[in-house]
Amino acid sequence: MIDFVKGALIIGGALFMLLASLGLLRLPDLLTRMHATTKAAALGVILIMLAAAMHFAEAGVVARSFAIIVFILMTAPVAAHVIGRAGYFVGSKLWSGTVKDELRPNYDPLTHELKSGLETQENAKRQPRDTDPD
Amino acid sequence: MTGAIWNLLLGLAWVLLSGDFTGLNLLVGMIFGYITLVLIEPQLDSLKGYPARVPRFLGFLVFFMKELIQANLRVAFDIITPPWHMKPGVIAMPLSARTEMEITMVANLISLTPGTLSLDVSDDRKVLYIHAMFLDDEEELRRNLKEMEHRALELFR
Amino acid sequence: MDTVIQISQIIMSVALLLTFVRVVRGPSLPDRVVALELFSTTVVGLVGVYAIKSDVASFLDAAIVIALMGFLAAIAFARFLERGGPRDD
Repeated sequence: MIDFVKGALIIGGALFMLLASLGLLRLPDLLTRMHATTKAAALGVILIMLAAAMHFAEAGVVARSFAIIVFILMTAPVAAHVIGRAGYFVGSKLWSGTVKDELRPNYDPLTHELKSGLETQENAKRQPRDTDPD
Repeated sequence: MTGAIWNLLLGLAWVLLSGDFTGLNLLVGMIFGYITLVLIEPQLDSLKGYPARVPRFLGFLVFFMKELIQANLRVAFDIITPPWHMKPGVIAMPLSARTEMEITMVANLISLTPGTLSLDVSDDRKVLYIHAMFLDDEEELRRNLKEMEHRALELFR
Repeated sequence: MDTVIQISQIIMSVALLLTFVRVVRGPSLPDRVVALELFSTTVVGLVGVYAIKSDVASFLDAAIVIALMGFLAAIAFARFLERGGPRDD
């Protein structure tokens, strides 16, 4: 029984990694590629580490494999965010099928300022004060 | 936080006293420690709110796992079949998280669910820019993201 | 059990190969960085499977170190991309 679960976890993890690399190869632009790689690969490592924890079944090894799982869960989104951000602002092109981009109009490439797009609404709501210049 | 530390200490005491050093026994000890903490909660101020937070945390874990697997399968299907079903795009999501810590947690959770990837936070920390892979139903996606943010914030506040 | 491990090792080797194709082809530098990160994650998985196969738990420590290096490399590359000078990919 344990052997069966272990084998299923190992094969599942390996398949998720294959899926991640297939996605990396097939998807059309940087940001969609990152969707495939970070999450599928992280899930693959998590499954394999669960299998390792079940195989050894000692307190020390289980603690270590859970440490790897927590580490992957914490670092994978940070790395994805950092690379995606850098790639986007460096100017990698988006896929032609991209339906909308709400970031581009709010970003100033000269000053690197990123507005929230809510300022105009707040200005409209703001009451005039006595100290305002005419 | 003190509640979690006390829970762990009670579990360790259980392991030491029973003399069986395995992970399963530690889990049993933690469960008994949790029951003890629930029982003495009304008498200690420092434990306020800890017993209620644990089931919420477990519920969040189940919700997150469900999202993770569901969305992963969707991305997998799109990668394997030749024509593209996806409609990628960048959307702006207004944040209700305020402190840096909360924003970090929410952004990480959004990045971990396949189909969404947090790109950047605006300079005034009000809007999170998210790259989404499936924008067929934008309203529903926004609702899902909001629900996840709401559940995550409930956990930390 | 041994056949299962062998099959998974073959699958992950194919994954490494496909990733390598992207490293070579990748039209721009960020694409290559993403591929290299996937590389390190796949190697962590391979090390985990090898630890199971050889019954030596110490290999998991090596897996931790590789995961750490992959993360730091990704951060460093991202800083380089944002601050770095002129380049031609």
